[in-house]
Amino acid sequence: MDSQIESAMKRGRGYWFVDGFTEILAGILFILLGGITLLSGIVPPSSFLSQFFSLAASAAVVKLVGLILAVLGLWWLKDRFTYPRTGFVREKGVPGTQLLVFLRNAVLIAIVPVVGLIIPLFLVPAVRGAIFSMPVWFPPIVGIFWGALCILLGEWTALRRFRLLGMVVMLAGISVGAWQLALGLPNVPAEALQANVLSPLPEALWAPLEESLSRMLAGVGLLTLLSGIGFAVSGLVTFLRYRKENPTPYREAE
Amino acid sequence: MNEPLRNLSDLDRVIHEPARLLLVALLSSVESADFLFLLKESGLTKGNLSVHLSRLEEAGYLRVEKTFRGKIPHTEFRLTPKGKTAFEEYRKSLGPIFEKKKGRG
Repeated sequence: MDSQIESAMKRGRGYWFVDGFTEILAGILFILLGGITLLSGIVPPSSFLSQFFSLAASAAVVKLVGLILAVLGLWWLKDRFTYPRTGFVREKGVPGTQLLVFLRNAVLIAIVPVVGLIIPLFLVPAVRGAIFSMPVWFPPIVGIFWGALCILLGEWTALRRFRLLGMVVMLAGISVGAWQLALGLPNVPAEALQANVLSPLPEALWAPLEESLSRMLAGVGLLTLLSGIGFAVSGLVTFLRYRKENPTPYREAE
Repeated sequence: MNEPLRNLSDLDRVIHEPARLLLVALLSSVESADFLFLLKESGLTKGNLSVHLSRLEEAGYLRVEKTFRGKIPHTEFRLTPKGKTAFEEYRKSLGPIFEKKKGRG
């Protein structure tokens, strides 16, 4: 019986995603961001397009405007399409204390791997090679992290499609890493890695470092693009099913 | 009377009714919801739903709020603190009953 109660509670929590609009808009935003990041790494560095993409990619305002537009669009769509068909739900706000705990955990999750990487960089010269293999390990880590978030959302709302999406995103991250491995890693002279970390970066490491960073960025861009396509397709399928089940707004006579 | 049976007889009868239990469970996970959402999710008829909502309101478990969304009048239902506590207590009191049953099984 308790599982039936839990299931009813999850129905309330998952109502926000009932129409697929959130996934469609998040998918479009991801496709745009991923596309810009990917193209900024592909087009020739001195071209006009490159200048445009690097500006657009680095300008936080583009992302912010996209996010604000997506949220406003979502409210507008729900107001005109979803609420007249299946009703209105005001979702629970997050209490301040819970938000602080969430922020603290998010900062810890972000800091621990960075510190875990930086300390060995200073202590163990051999580990410095990890920076030059970033295209291989960074996209899978990002994919596994995003995928885990999706799966958690699926558990919280009892929506199976988010669990599936989470697995797809994880798989996409691992595939991007495998693809980068198949392309081969930048050539790093072993003796250059032995240099004192506090001294200026040896010249022999500049080119491999630049290559590693740009390939890592392209990998994350591709992962973002693939995840966006996954979200958009999932949202579209959900929307079509929702529209079939609720073709017209609810009327008194129904 | 043994412990599990006493727990069973102590259950809150306002919430224990299946339709009201479903409504309270739905409302417990959101801030508030309107009549149409509860109608669609519960599968009750409009008349039945109104009766159960009134019963919950009489018990002080539910608050009805008349608001406007744009220019359209809108009615929202939300659990009161008393309703939230009653629901939590109800879930807690269910626990030992099912644990005992599992232990025997």
